[in-house]
Amino acid sequence: MNRSQFLRNLLGAMATLPLANSVWAKPATDPQTKMVIPPYLQPGDTIGITCPASPLGLKELMHCINALKAWGFQVQLGQTIGQHWERFGGTDTNRAADLQAMLNNPSIKAILFARGGYGTMRMMDAVDWSGFQKNPKWLVGYSDITALHCHVQSLLGIPTLHADMANGFEIREDVSSLSLKNALIGKPINYTGPLHSLNRAGQSTGKLVGGNLSLIVSLLGSKSALQTEGKILLIEEVSEYKYTLDRMMTTLRRSGALDNIAGLIIGGLTATKPDGEEPFPMSVEEIVFEKVANKNYPVCFNFSAGHIKNNLALKLGVPYQFSVTGTSVSLSEGQPLPAPVSIPIVTDSVQVQA
Amino acid sequence: MAAAITFPPYLKKGNTIGIVCPAGFMPAEKTLQCRKTLEQWGFRVKLGATVGNSFHYFSGTDAERLADMQAMLDDENIHAILCGRGGYGCSRIIDQLDWKKFRKHPKWIIGFSDITVFHNFLYTKQKTASLHAAMANAFNNGGDKKEYVLTLRNALIGKKNTYKIAPHTMNRTGAATGVLLGGNLSILAHQTGTISDINTRGAILFIEDVGEYLYNIDRMLLQLDRAGKLQHLAGLIVGGFSDMKDTTTSFGKTVEEIIQERISNYSFPVCFGFPVSHEEENVALKVGAVYALKVGKTVQLKEV
Repeated sequence: MNRSQFLRNLLGAMATLPLANSVWAKPATDPQTKMVIPPYLQPGDTIGITCPASPLGLKELMHCINALKAWGFQVQLGQTIGQHWERFGGTDTNRAADLQAMLNNPSIKAILFARGGYGTMRMMDAVDWSGFQKNPKWLVGYSDITALHCHVQSLLGIPTLHADMANGFEIREDVSSLSLKNALIGKPINYTGPLHSLNRAGQSTGKLVGGNLSLIVSLLGSKSALQTEGKILLIEEVSEYKYTLDRMMTTLRRSGALDNIAGLIIGGLTATKPDGEEPFPMSVEEIVFEKVANKNYPVCFNFSAGHIKNNLALKLGVPYQFSVTGTSVSLSEGQPLPAPVSIPIVTDSVQVQA
Repeated sequence: MAAAITFPPYLKKGNTIGIVCPAGFMPAEKTLQCRKTLEQWGFRVKLGATVGNSFHYFSGTDAERLADMQAMLDDENIHAILCGRGGYGCSRIIDQLDWKKFRKHPKWIIGFSDITVFHNFLYTKQKTASLHAAMANAFNNGGDKKEYVLTLRNALIGKKNTYKIAPHTMNRTGAATGVLLGGNLSILAHQTGTISDINTRGAILFIEDVGEYLYNIDRMLLQLDRAGKLQHLAGLIVGGFSDMKDTTTSFGKTVEEIIQERISNYSFPVCFGFPVSHEEENVALKVGAVYALKVGKTVQLKEV
């Protein structure tokens, strides 16, 4: 390790220390980005569970409730748990009211969505975000919840958490739930990703946004549409057919959302149905890569997020350093540290001359 | 509302119609009856290189489909372009087409389903009317003799079609006049927020779809609504929604009820069961032309 690297690492270690200890109930404001960050959870804090989309019964929540309690949190169930209206966890009005009550309740420190499915887009316009804006809390989910992630990013710019939901908990703590716990208590995110032949090397910095492709595309043209410029874009998707994946990626490209991003992270990506008699001439990864082939930002595939076994928790709306090389993929929370400038360089050069 | 729309010249006897496949693969023999009928109508037919051609799912590589469509657009001896079939693939080539010669010599582009990509693009980017109508397969199995396919002939030779249909219990009465826009709902949703995005203010919108999940129909309508595409419509025409699929947990509503719920805050006239669909009932509609819609004891859509 040379001297400048040593200094950088030392600075890095020092920079994280006060952060880990200084996050209390008040929302922290990142001094560098002036960004509001919802408070991380403390032991004894209460997590609310609500159904913004498809229904979920209490029985299916038991692993989740047990885990949250084992982690030292309390659990408050919303009115929508166990409710059923058509294919939703209550009417649009009921689901919005349940989320509203949790957003406005100061004793609820984070909201974990019960499950995705479909329906978040139907209720989110009825939610008043003014209380949340003053007292933000972590909103946790993925899949259909991508609608809320995008809505909150576009309208409020407050970070949210792309992670497993209540229905994803197993009897034992697994990679997904452990990563959620770590994110909720404020451990900085630092993940590596697998190598893939279509990965494109590069380094960049930017806020992470995105989630499920179907939802990202369904919000195009609306006030909730993602602003992707300068951001690292996360995409995961379970499509029925490859052509629907291709159509959505083409739509995203034609919306300009892939033009000026800082990087592209592809999580779980599947087409569930076989091609049939007329096969689609590309793999799912090729379908995606083709849409960004003429750009030069870093791209990685098979990142561990989405509708897959290990769904790593990812804070959206916060800056990350994203690095893809021929031998590594990494995503680390935080801004790049200012390079330690003149002193070490001058010292080194003096030494060389001596 | 929108800038003046160019209407391509109507066809005369002896004019040539080019057939291309800009999206999915189609065996050439399935275009036989269509070619025969167009000739009986007094036109010549020229087959594009993509008819009968295939590249896996598509009727050719992007480059092949692009070149075929470009050749048809540029050829002054082609007076209209009939798409063999839809499927998927128009949005992969639409942005690479060169419209310079087309603007000097506009011609009718005909089709539906995936061809809605062209209708939207032609209206919003080329300010040119196009024909949402039967494609080659509609001429098969006796379709060539049916009134639906015959409306295409009328439209091509410049006769203004008037459609009268039976009322539907869920119709919302009223009258409206406006530019007719629309097509396949999935494609309309997929153009929203892109460079082909259409301004629907004051327009009469028609929608149809096939083989979609009910929840997805709901989501697509919600997308259009949240993007402001429904609020300022002059009227809505609901065509066929065939082969709808449901999930394990049933959506609990018919497609008509889903549509009705989504527009319940608005008061423009709405008619259901209009003959625009992936089935036999599929009349010719000029996208970009002004129509008058009356929804009452009878339903009438008339080009004005």
